[in-house]
Parts: sequence; C-alpha cells; structure tokens
Amino acid sequence: MKHLTRTLLGGLVAASLVASTAFSAGIDGAPAPFDKGDVDIAVVSFLGGGDWLQAFEAGVKRQADALHVNLTVSQARNDNDTQRSLIEQAINLGVDGIIINNGRPEVLKDVAQKALDAGIKVVAYDVNLDNPQIPQIEQSDKDMARLVLEQAVKDKGDGFVGGAVYVAGFAPLDRRYAVWKDFVAKHNLTEKANWGVVNDTVPASVADQTKAVLTANPDISVIFTPWDEFAKGVKLAIDELGVASKVKIYGVDISTADIQLMNEPDSAWQATAATNAAVVGEVSVRAVSLAIAGQFPGTSVLLQPTLVTHDDLAKGEIKTVEDLQEKFPAFRKSDAATAEWIPSATN
Amino acid sequence: MTIINSENQSPLSERISAAVRASAVFILLIVMVTGFALAQPAYINVTNLMSILQAVSVVAILGAGVTITLAVGGFDLSIGAVAASSVMAASYSMIVWGLGVYETVPLVLLFGALVGLVNAFLIVRLRVPDLLATLAMMFLLTGLQLIPTAGRSISAGLILPDGSTATGAYDPAFLLIGRSSFFGVVPAPVVIMALVAIVLFVLTERTRLGRLLFATGGNELATRLAGASVPRLKTLAYVLSGTLASLGGIIVAARVGRGDVSSGASLLMDSVAAALIGFAVLGLRCPNVFGTIVGAVFVGLLLNGLTMLNAPYYTQDFVKGAVLVGALALTYGLGRSQAR
Amino acid sequence: MPLLRIDGLAHAFGPTKALAGASLEIRSGEIVALMGANGAGKSTLVNVLAGTLAADHGTMTLAGRPYAPRSPAEATDAGVVTVHQSTERVGAPGLSVADALLLHAYADGSAPFFLSRSAVRRKAAAMLENAGFALPLDRDFAELTAADRQLVAIARALSRQASLLILDEPTASISGRESERLYTILRRLRDDGLAILFISHRIADLNALADRAVVMRGGTVVGEFARPIDFDRAVETMIGRPLRAARPDARSFQGAPVLELAGVQLVAGSTPFDLKLHPGEVVAVTGVLGAGKSRLLQTIFGMRHLAAGTMRLDGKAYIPATPADAIKAGIFMAGEDRHRSSLMPADWPGSNLAPTISLPHLPKWYPLGFLLGSRERYEAQRAIDTLGIKASGPEAPMTSLSGGNQQKVILGRWNAEPSRVLLLDEPFQGVDVGARHDIITAIRANTERATLIATSDPEEALEVADRILIIDHHTLTPAHHAELPAEAIEA
Repeated sequence: MKHLTRTLLGGLVAASLVASTAFSAGIDGAPAPFDKGDVDIAVVSFLGGGDWLQAFEAGVKRQADALHVNLTVSQARNDNDTQRSLIEQAINLGVDGIIINNGRPEVLKDVAQKALDAGIKVVAYDVNLDNPQIPQIEQSDKDMARLVLEQAVKDKGDGFVGGAVYVAGFAPLDRRYAVWKDFVAKHNLTEKANWGVVNDTVPASVADQTKAVLTANPDISVIFTPWDEFAKGVKLAIDELGVASKVKIYGVDISTADIQLMNEPDSAWQATAATNAAVVGEVSVRAVSLAIAGQFPGTSVLLQPTLVTHDDLAKGEIKTVEDLQEKFPAFRKSDAATAEWIPSATN
Repeated sequence: MTIINSENQSPLSERISAAVRASAVFILLIVMVTGFALAQPAYINVTNLMSILQAVSVVAILGAGVTITLAVGGFDLSIGAVAASSVMAASYSMIVWGLGVYETVPLVLLFGALVGLVNAFLIVRLRVPDLLATLAMMFLLTGLQLIPTAGRSISAGLILPDGSTATGAYDPAFLLIGRSSFFGVVPAPVVIMALVAIVLFVLTERTRLGRLLFATGGNELATRLAGASVPRLKTLAYVLSGTLASLGGIIVAARVGRGDVSSGASLLMDSVAAALIGFAVLGLRCPNVFGTIVGAVFVGLLLNGLTMLNAPYYTQDFVKGAVLVGALALTYGLGRSQAR
Repeated sequence: MPLLRIDGLAHAFGPTKALAGASLEIRSGEIVALMGANGAGKSTLVNVLAGTLAADHGTMTLAGRPYAPRSPAEATDAGVVTVHQSTERVGAPGLSVADALLLHAYADGSAPFFLSRSAVRRKAAAMLENAGFALPLDRDFAELTAADRQLVAIARALSRQASLLILDEPTASISGRESERLYTILRRLRDDGLAILFISHRIADLNALADRAVVMRGGTVVGEFARPIDFDRAVETMIGRPLRAARPDARSFQGAPVLELAGVQLVAGSTPFDLKLHPGEVVAVTGVLGAGKSRLLQTIFGMRHLAAGTMRLDGKAYIPATPADAIKAGIFMAGEDRHRSSLMPADWPGSNLAPTISLPHLPKWYPLGFLLGSRERYEAQRAIDTLGIKASGPEAPMTSLSGGNQQKVILGRWNAEPSRVLLLDEPFQGVDVGARHDIITAIRANTERATLIATSDPEEALEVADRILIIDHHTLTPAHHAELPAEAIEA
C-alpha cells in the first residue's frame, strides 16, 4: 500500500508540473518560429536570489508572455558548476534560446559554444563570453558609477574622505570600482578603506565589516557601494552606529526594497544609479527572440542607466520601482533590441 | 534472552517488510524516472542522463568519503571545504605557479591527503571529537583559501597581492578532466566517479581493510581487542576522505576553469545527504558505498527533473530534505515491528 | 489472595512459541526465583509483565484487578517495576551517576524544573542510602562498569513505590560482596511486604534468597520447588536432562610453564606476586569487584603496562605494547561484557556469526587483503559444529543468538587459531546452565594452551578451574580447591 500511495503522489506531482508548462499560440505577422508559437527559452541565472533577480525574472516573464514563449527559469545560486549543469540541461531539453544571466566567462564559454553548436541561440547579460555569435547585453557600469560619484562630488565637494565596498573578481564590480579609483585621483579624494565579502548573507556580513571600519575610521564621510546588496549592509551598519548624519552612501542598482531604504527619514543612502532590472529582463528576452527569428541584434546591446537621488524619491513620493517607472521614463523602457513584430511587455 | 528460530524462518510479513525496505529506493527511482520521462521526454535521453551523472559525480565522490568516515564511526565535516580549497589550490598552482596537469593533480591530491592527516591527528592523537575537529578544519580551510590571493578569485590574469600579474593559465589538459567525454557520450567525471565507486566498494565490502574500518565504527574496543590498530584505521579513513574530497575539487576546477572562494557548504550537505540516503538504499541501516552512489544519483535525477519541469529553485532543498526524511523513515520505521 | 496471578499466558514470535500457556502465582512478601534455560520463556514472561510485550492469550490479575500493561510506564504506575539485564540504557554518556539515578524523576515530572547540583546530589545520595550501597555520584555514567550500572538500576527501582519488583539476573555482573548486600536489602524489602520475582542462574542467589523456585521449560512452568530447594533436581528439571557431576576433577600440571609472571606489580605499590600457567591448565582468578581481576588479564594482553616485574612466554621475555602484540605472540583474550568488548552492534556490517569469529584472524586467513574464498564460512561452520552453537548458520546475525550461544561464538573466535594462553574475563555472564556446561567442557578439552579465567562468581570458578587463585588489592594468593566453600572465597 505504501508504494501505491507513493506512485499516486508521484503521478500527481508530475501531472501538476506538466500542466504548468502549457503550450502557447503564435503571434500573427511575426517571423518564424514566432508565428507558430511553441518557442522555448531557458533562463539560467548565476545568482540565487535578491531583489534584482526578482525584478529581472519578472521582466523576463512579462516579455516572454507578450511573445507567447515558454520559459524555463533556473538559478545556479552562486555555484559555477551548477550553472554549467543547468545550461547543459537546457541544451538537453532542446530549447530554442538560452539567456545566460551573470556568471564567469571561464566557466561558461565552452558550454555556451556547445549550445550554439546545437543550434541554440544564446544571449548573455553581464558576462563577457567573448563570442561574436553571442549578443552581450550590458548595462553601462561606467556610466552608473560615474553618475552617482558625480552626485557625491556635487554634494560633498572635492577632497572628501571615503571608503568603498568592493570584492575583486566580479567584472561589473571591477568596472564600477575602477571609476571610483578615477574619481579618487581626479577629485583628490582619500580612500581610507575598502572592504567587502560575497557570501550567502552579504548584507549582514558587510554590515559587520562596515561597523569595524567606521569605528576605526570615524573620518569617512562617503561610502561607495558598487552593488546594492553592499549598500544594504552599509546602511544597516550606519543605522546601528547612529552615524547617518555623518556618513553617506552612494550606491549602484535599485529595487523596491532599496527605494524603501533610501526613503527612510534621514537615510544615509543619498543616491543610486541603475538600469531597471525588469527592463534588463525584457531586453534579454527580446534579444534572444531576435536571434531566434534570424534577426541578429548585434554583439553589444547597451542599456543606459538613470541617476536617482534621495531628493528625487521624496519629491515624487516614489515608493516602489513601479512608481519610479512612472516618474522616470528612461527607467521604464529601453528601446534596445526591439522590432515591430515584438509586442511590448505589459505590466 | 532472544528467541532462536532454528530454521531462521522469519514470518512472511517480516520478509515482505524487509524486501520492501531493500527495494523501496529502487521502486521510487523507477516511478520517478517514469513520471519525469512522461512529463518531459527530453529527460530520458542519454545526453541528459549523462548530464545528470556528471552533475552528481562530485557529490558522489565526496559522499563516498563521508561513507568511509561514517564507517569508522567518525564524521568529516571538512570535505566540502577541502573540495572548495582544492579548486583554489588547483587554480593557484596552474595560474600563479604555471604548473601543468601532471604537477597540479598530484599536488592537489596531496593537499587533500594532508588535510585528512591533520584531521586524523586532531581526532586520534589529541582526541578532539570528530565533529568539532572537522568543523574547525572547515573554517580554517575556508579562510585559508583567501590568503594566497588576498581574497581574489583566481582566473587568468590575476593580480597578485604584491601588484604583479599572474602569467599562468589553466592547462587545457587539466580542463579535459572535467570537460571531455569518452566516445563523445560518457563525461570524464562520470568515469572517474565510476572508478572511485568500484574501488571503494571493493575496499569496503571485499577486503580485510574494509571489514576492519567498519569494525572500528561498530565497536572500537572490540576492534582493538581483536588486534587491529584503531588509530591507524581512523587515520586511513580521514586521509581517504580528504583525498577523495580533493579529487572532487579537481573535477570542479576542471569543469569551471577558475577558482572562486567558497565554503563548499552545499557540497558538504549534498554529500552527507547522499551518504544518509545510502542507509536506505538496500535497507542496510548503515553506511555503504553502493548506497551512497545510488543516493547521489537519486537526488540528481530528482533535481534535474524538477528543473526541467520548471520547479523553482527554492523547492529543491525542500525536496532533498523530503527525500532524506522519507528514506530514513522508511529504513528505520519498517521493521520496528520485530521488537526484541 | 495472591498479589499477582498469571493464567495461561501465551506469546509467539512468528512460528516460535516463546510462551505457551504459562501459569504462576506470586504473593506479597515472598521471593520467587524464576529458573529456566535460555529459550525457556523467562525473558518473554518478564517482558509481558513489564509491559514491553503484549501477550497473545491468557490473563493476569494484580491485587484482584485485571492487569495488562501496554507500556513500561503503565506497569510502573501499577506498581510493577522491572530491572532489566542489560543496563547500558539505564543512563546515558554525559550524565553524572546522580543524574542517572534521578532520571525517572526528571522524566515523570516529580523533580522540580530547576535543579541545583547539590539538591540532585542530596536526593541521589538518599536513594543510595536506601539501597544500601555506594556509587561515585559525580562520575560520568559512561565510565561505569556493568556492575555499577546494575547498581544504579536497582537503586532506582528500589526508590519507586513498587508492590512487585522483577529482577532479571540482578547479580550476574556484580561481585560477591555486593551481592550479599543486595540479598540483605531484598530480604528486608520482602519482610516489608514486597513481592520479588527474580531470574538467576546462580545457586548462591537461589540459596540466599528464594522462598520458592519456579522452573520454566518450553514456554510453560514445569515445576515448583518450595524451601528447602533441591537445586540439583531443580536444575535437572530446567535443562531436561540429568546433571553431570558439576565439579571437575582437578588436574595437576608439571613441567615448563607457558606463561610465567615474576615479581609482578599490577599497580605501583601493590604487593608483588608470581604466576605460572602450564599447557592445558585452566586457572580461575576470583575476587571482589575492583580487586584487579580484569587488570591482570588486560596487563597480560598488552592493554596496560606492568608497574614492575617481568613476563615470560615459553621462556622468552614477553613485553606486549598492544593487544596486537599479544595476539601475535599467541595470547588471546575475550573481554568482559561481550557486547562491549567483542560484538558489533545489530545491523552493522560484521555483526553476523562468521565475521564475528574471523575478526582477529583476518590477516592470517586473508593474507592478500581481499576477502575471497570461503575460509571464514568454513571456520564459522566448524565453530558451530564443535561448540554446538544453536544458529541458522554462519550468516546468522549475532542478535538472533541467545546469550549462551553468543558466548560460544566468542569462544569459537579464539579457538579458531592455536594459541598459547587464552584469557577469559567473566565468560559466563548471562550464560544459562546448559551453555555454561558446554563452554566449560570446551575450555577444559584444550591441552595445548593455558586458560586464565577471571570471574567474580566462586561457583563458576569451582566448576571450570583446575586451580583457583584469589586476587585482592591487585595481588594473587592461591586457594586450594578441596577446601573451598563459596563463603571462604568471599571472606
């Protein structure tokens, strides 16, 4: 009797899963294979969670729904080997396109090539796979860092004492940090300390580090956080130390949770620059769809960032990313990788 | 006082429950594979099955190491960290020292064996309880990885703490360990896993040494009184476990082609889960290499199927836990009736 | 009216009828001895009374009310307290002895939630005072010997308000002196109106305690003996065959000794002694708990080091550093408490009969390291045949064997290869009369090696040995066989 129950249960689980991957109809007037529908796209993310990934996946889903595309979404949860396995699995599934979201070039180059060899179109976001057949979707890290740091110099003037949270080896972080280094040289800033850690509990770990750093260096007045998870940790530390009036955060990236943090009265988080993660998701799906339809979107698909300050949020009574999209048109949409036959994503 | 059944005729119900216990995992396996294959035909094709085996190869190899330490009545919590630091060690040896595959592999295996030796020293000589000793080793290794590169990940063109740039690169021959396949079908890690499984199966089940390893875990005093050297057996178990973990690390390194700092916690958890599911595989209720490998493959089949059917990642840990709970409940729960 | 009346009790394990209509009465204020060979149904009866097994048929009444406990807790609540033979589970490693004594009070909530160390100690000390013996209250439970664990269990049982106390081999592993103390306590409890049912193989227990002996065989009660109890007849009823003269003829041995200890001090400061063992000779060492019986054997086996003196084996200096050295030199030992010292836990690899026998001989039997061939099975079958082990075969799990048969397997292990000296520490623990007889015969049949046996039971020593030595404060004094009434050794 025991296995009977189990068999039934197994069958039920399988059945319910089948139901969730329903087939979709095609779009009239679209190039093949979108005219017939039944296009499969796999999204393999390196990250395992966080606000950014949530927004990204929401954008992916919106655009995919608009295109009547079947999605398989998976996360490697910061594990290189798992990400490879997930891509291999997508190849085995025989999807039409794969979106690789973040990751390490060394880890992914050969599997990406394997996918291309299998006739699968690949686009990559924020990981340079260095392959002319793979469109690179990038947000301009340089521009993002430049926008916030210009704001910092505007607020504090040249020559302030600052620190940066930074972990080497992550390409976007490396690029953003390089801009900070330029600013240090150009605007005569003092970099008192740089710290950071990437693990399963980034904000908490960074908060602990930041407390130590701020205690040791009470003269730091600006902290540059090239990733919003870092900013959360630093904000936590500043609040716990009660030094929000003295130390300000200039960050990169944005999410609803980030907006709430910036919106807190006397928040230390002054400004951030970001592309809309949801838009990144939408653009990724559009880019891979163009590739599948044989309309190669080019090797580089660039997204322009927007500067968002504490005051902007307060003035516009912006509480969520959705509010932000209404207030900042540049934030709402990107005209990157579009075509007439691609319906725009609906919220 | 026990009742002797002179002809060993267990009653039918007992024999049935024993048979169910012995085959439950396999029945479940068949049901599961059939279910997934029906829902997603691509699941059952050879390439995908090989992908699954490849994905579980590292966990299975580490799980075999866990099994050996469980056999001597110990527990090695450091294997995940040994594997993770082996990835770093392999990357460092090739990228910073510019060594090739033939130097790197023995070096990394030696590193694993050495960690095992230190574990054994703590446990056998200093009598630190095994969980504490290997937990401490886990933290030590997680931190040690950061020191040579000042916390940076190791990839070609690494900037060293002294400001110079590393000139080496991953030896293409080394990458073959993780990325090549035999006859274009069987990935090299799967072959390595199979070899490890066979060697360790023979070692634990068919050799004197294996018998003594299990005897140590079953009853240390009895083993000592039978003339065996318990310290030597325990040392061997931890050295084996460390070496296997570093072999797992080599495979990971050869697959990913770079070194990222990691505590290896998920490797540890998955391999321990595999070893524990192994208790249930033949209904043996004790560590066994065959069961561990089956346990690892079982979890791999399940996770691959769930991913293919678009189950969100956060269900995966739950499913792993459910399998573990189910397996253990099945092994220990059935057969309770034959109370003595 | 009897306190407990058992009528037609039956229980079967599969096809095996462990109890087949057993009937029995016990009155308040009497001590009843339950006798029976292994497999007679004693333990099953006790388990039914204690609430760990449910009877298939039959009725029980306790003080006029129907009694059918569904759990040990129910039995205890009804006033039936059982002290089981295996005492490892009385406490747990990490608990102090005082905690172990009060464990049931913690569990049933009669102890206050917050405990101070001194309160725990005080209560535990009061329990021991009531029981009439001393235990180291602050020691870890795991460090206790089987004897001490038994004392914890008995003290705990005594502290409960029981109307019927059941003891399963209460003195099997405690020394003569402590047995005497226990007898006194049990007699006092009986005089206070307690009913006591105890299982024992020891004539000394029966002599000292039993008002009545009930003999079981084949799951039923086959005989009752009132005081004065004719033990020879009782034992014959129990094993179902006439008893051979239990006392063997002492043989005398001359010539070169196998093992010679000279000027030996087991611990620093103890009186030095000499010991010579001859081939074929069986020597028993007896003495109170802690006198050094086990230490003597462990020292010869290389587990401990001599404080002073020399050992010579076949005339050559013998200095074992580890048991491995001793085994290589031809000195074998079966330790005290076979579960602790010789057997694998249930279901663990190597817990079957054949691997149990082969464990020390693996290097010799499988020199290449691979377990190929049937040497192990062959040797196991040989042990089964020569020692009359009742088991389904070489693959039988050790847990399926009775205590006596398990002990035969241990003896079979050390008989499987020739040796110079065999050391046996309490080899008759939990062994019924029939199996004991077989084991003694097998021990005495070997003429190649010397056998040195440590036992706390003088009766056993008399039954097995050619020569008996008494150990006291870690030194040996000879006792002469002819003039050895049990009481003299105790003194």
